[in-house]
Amino acid sequence: MPFGRQASNKLLRISEIFYIILTVISFYLLITSRTGEARTVWQVLHPAFMPTLFVTTSLLLAILFSSETTTPKMLLIIVHSILIHSFFPIIFPAGDNSGQQMVLGQTRRVFDNTILHGLSGWPRPTLQIFVVEMFKGMNLQAAISTIFARMFSTDIFHVHLFLVPVLWGTFIPIASFLTTKALGGDEKTSVLSSLLVSAFPYTTYFGAISIPNSLGFIFFFYSLHFMLKYLSSNNSRTSYFMLGFAFFSFLSHYLTGIISFSLLLLALTFKSYKSEKAASPMTAKASLAITFLLSASLLPFSFIYLRFLNPAYSTVFTLDKFYGLPYEEIVGLFLIGNLVYVFDIKAIILIAVGSAFAFLYMTYLLHKSKKSPAGEFRIRLLFLFSAFLIVLIDYRIMNLFMDRLPLSEDRLWVFRDFVAVPFVALAIYGVVSSAKAIVKVHCPWKISIASLKAISKINVLRILALLSTLIVIIPLILGGWITFSLSAAYPHFAPLQTTWYELEAVKYIEENTEEKYVVICDVWTIYAGEMIVGVKNPRAYYFGEKDPRGYNLSARMRRDPSPQVMIEAMNQTGTDTTVAYFIVTEPRLGVEEFNSIVSKTLQNSLPVYATFGNGKLYIFRLEK
Amino acid sequence: MTSSFQFRKLEDLIARDPKLLFTLASYIAIVAIYLNLNVKLLAIGIVFFALYFSINGTFLARAFFEREDVFFRLMFGVLLLIMLLSFVGWLVMLIYNLDVPLFILTLFIVSTFSSLSNKRKKHKNAVW
Repeated sequence: MPFGRQASNKLLRISEIFYIILTVISFYLLITSRTGEARTVWQVLHPAFMPTLFVTTSLLLAILFSSETTTPKMLLIIVHSILIHSFFPIIFPAGDNSGQQMVLGQTRRVFDNTILHGLSGWPRPTLQIFVVEMFKGMNLQAAISTIFARMFSTDIFHVHLFLVPVLWGTFIPIASFLTTKALGGDEKTSVLSSLLVSAFPYTTYFGAISIPNSLGFIFFFYSLHFMLKYLSSNNSRTSYFMLGFAFFSFLSHYLTGIISFSLLLLALTFKSYKSEKAASPMTAKASLAITFLLSASLLPFSFIYLRFLNPAYSTVFTLDKFYGLPYEEIVGLFLIGNLVYVFDIKAIILIAVGSAFAFLYMTYLLHKSKKSPAGEFRIRLLFLFSAFLIVLIDYRIMNLFMDRLPLSEDRLWVFRDFVAVPFVALAIYGVVSSAKAIVKVHCPWKISIASLKAISKINVLRILALLSTLIVIIPLILGGWITFSLSAAYPHFAPLQTTWYELEAVKYIEENTEEKYVVICDVWTIYAGEMIVGVKNPRAYYFGEKDPRGYNLSARMRRDPSPQVMIEAMNQTGTDTTVAYFIVTEPRLGVEEFNSIVSKTLQNSLPVYATFGNGKLYIFRLEK
Repeated sequence: MTSSFQFRKLEDLIARDPKLLFTLASYIAIVAIYLNLNVKLLAIGIVFFALYFSINGTFLARAFFEREDVFFRLMFGVLLLIMLLSFVGWLVMLIYNLDVPLFILTLFIVSTFSSLSNKRKKHKNAVW
């Protein structure tokens, strides 16, 4: 091996070891940030974490631009990806206070064998409702989490919280790599795209919470990869995998499923367009246009049709949102969607910059590839451009023309970002390659100290400037972008997360009560309770987070804490419940209200059962 | 380069599955996972989880993604294994319940499927 190559390899190994050390430090700093009482991760994140992450990411980017082989690069990216998606489960005692806690509550029922025939249970009022419930993504996630928890022989709690961050961190970079490669990118560009996927705030957020939709996104990205492969391959296995991943994204969540099927339809049409174009170009183009419209309308209409399967859904098309809105706001909504309401310019830039950049580059590539309209690359490009447009159109329809949607339309941004990532990587690599070419032009001989003397001063400066851009500035800029996009990914405003003492309180009740019991509490303690004993467990009953009876009983207890309300709660469980608990938490109520409720409860002869968090949480108990 | 070569050799060995040795090892891992459900030791769980995933992931990788590069092949194999486990688990859960005996059955079904897929692929590629 030549000496130069040997030295370069040595430097690479040192960089990799240094990167691993920095990653270990980053994980350590994240673990030291762990707290039992916080609203957002930013409140408690170790001050050294973000600078360390910035250095780690920049170093990783420098390694990515090096001559290292693909496998080690991918492994390093996977570790990085898992790190930045694990903020919630590492920092908070029960992950983010959101849907994932409700999903854990449901999954707990499967893990504890307290329900038969899936989370929908049996019998259901109608067959349609059973079918809809059966295909709800929560069932698939419950199965995965339960299988993993049983394989590790551990409780479902941490398995559930880490499920999506680990799966996302592992498989999304790979999907991004493969998609970029299928689009025609070389190894280095594809590796870059697998890291850049972390620069998109929405993808980072959905990769950090364990909900069925996030699982669906993973399968969707793979179906997108196989769709791209399908466009230029006649292998039947590619079609099976394309269909298989689309089906799995549907099993995980209907949003990802419907978008997968929309794009599947589009891919099939693009494939037939290729073969039919020569024979009848007009028919081929017309079928493309019709399929594009059909694919774009599939998602909005599916929300409307859901009501025929389950009356609980009531989504409608409407123009109500335009009434009373000023003209500028309507234009703003059309152009940048809900970002019009985000006043933080930094957040707007971080959320929109990647996709805007990708859109511009896609347009440029489309213009450039006009010379070879029948080329494989152009077909794939057109397909992805259409997919990008479908997502944008669907977002506008859902945002402006629909009401009572069962989910937030912002989730569509993840699809947009998945399509955008390969183009951002291609564009960046295009810039890097151009810079390299300029260096070669200006410096056609081997750079050495001796040869530098022979070049004019201006040329030396020019070469050094370009080299520093390649080796230092580009990794720093991209590292900064990825690191700072985290500030838009993880929320800055949130309610108090589930505290350690709320978790301890519900565990204490569960461990020390032999009789059937019911708990009257606020919605936050309901989430904590569901995570430990499961949703609507007849032995350990917490009213569901959307159950009006639970709200009503909790409000009455706060107004006038009396044994009668607790007896009423015991009678509402539908089983022979003999013990009732009432939990009040100071940070949720405020000191004044909390003290008033505690003193009123004591006056009404309800004894204190236990206190947690140095008197921040009180449990009262009543036995029939 | 040497470690990559050794890894390929190990992958080849697992995929060849001489005398169904690795299929048997996968079944033993399932039995160990079952026994560990009473002992509840996370370390044992991790070891047998890794064993189960590396054997069956390799089987599936070689059966369905032979043309991919070794790293991506293995990752595809693991992803496919997760999908199979979740799909069979999902079906079992909807039909009745995902309790311990049916969970073990799920592992057996997926392991057998992986082994058969690998064998089928091997027979297809065999030169007679």
